[in-house]
Amino acid sequence: MANSIWASLEQSGLGTTIASNEWMFPTIETIHVFALVTVIGAIAIMDMRLLGLTSKNRSVKAVERDTVPVTWIGFAVALITGVLLFVSKATTYMANPYFLWKMGLMALAGVNMAIFHRILSKGIDEWGKPGGSVPAAAKLSGALSLGIWLIIPFCGRVIGFTLGVYY
Amino acid sequence: MSIGEFLFQMTEAIRQTPIVEFSLWVSDWPFALWLQSNFLAIPGFQTLHILAIAVLFGSTLMLNLKVLGVSGKDQTLPQIFNRYQPWIKGGALVLITTGIILLISEPVRNMVNPIFWIKMGVLIVTIIVSLWFQAAVRGRMEQWEVSPGGQGSIKLGAVALIVLWMLVMVGGRWIAYAPV
Repeated sequence: MANSIWASLEQSGLGTTIASNEWMFPTIETIHVFALVTVIGAIAIMDMRLLGLTSKNRSVKAVERDTVPVTWIGFAVALITGVLLFVSKATTYMANPYFLWKMGLMALAGVNMAIFHRILSKGIDEWGKPGGSVPAAAKLSGALSLGIWLIIPFCGRVIGFTLGVYY
Repeated sequence: MSIGEFLFQMTEAIRQTPIVEFSLWVSDWPFALWLQSNFLAIPGFQTLHILAIAVLFGSTLMLNLKVLGVSGKDQTLPQIFNRYQPWIKGGALVLITTGIILLISEPVRNMVNPIFWIKMGVLIVTIIVSLWFQAAVRGRMEQWEVSPGGQGSIKLGAVALIVLWMLVMVGGRWIAYAPV
């Protein structure tokens, strides 16, 4: 049964340690906050460049060079801390629609980013120059990314308010 | 004295002040009642609060990493400063506005809470350091590449500001876990 996977995760040594400790969960949450604000801040800078709203005097490549390392470091920390938080309450999270929406939106953001890098970034050296015109598809990708990353923290926040509602 | 005990003592001290009565008064405001009665209002404003700190912190990282010589190497310091400074200010404005709304939404839980007051203390220090930092960068940025002398304190300020904003975030998260 699928449910038993989450139950056994929750009952694992790691899960019970985090769940039963007074300061561990909030400490991991705090590190998760450091990471997520870094990710959203950096991604927004890149998306707004694609949309032609900001950093217009720089090439898209130059903005990417600044934001991508920050994004990946932030994302790695958010992922690790997120998994630790998840393990401690796995069954509750899996029953929570806002958690499932959050995971779905993150997957969508990942697919959107992969499409941008594999397909839409063709010719970026040309259209990505300062003053160059960003193709509509790349702009759409930026808008989609920005929109998704604005909704993800909302889902994350509502999870905390609905833990007692779905289980 | 342990941290828990210190926070407990601080809560006891807050309970002796008119803050308690004031927070109870605020919790009867129509706006406070409206926030309380709408299920999505508090998480909604919390999300805006988080997005504001994301804008502020992301922009701070970009500016401060440029000051530290880590990123933005294709740009001059004035270019990076002019790109991110308005977003730092705008982020701070939304941060403070949503912060006040969140304060009104749960006045007793926030005001009769030692972590909240510690957070406000750290925030005031952070704003003062930030104002100094921005004035210092503005004053030196035109000669940044040509005369590297005297950059030590600005670079130290860049690191300090990143740490200070993280401490503010620590306070934000732990308000919910204060032993009150």
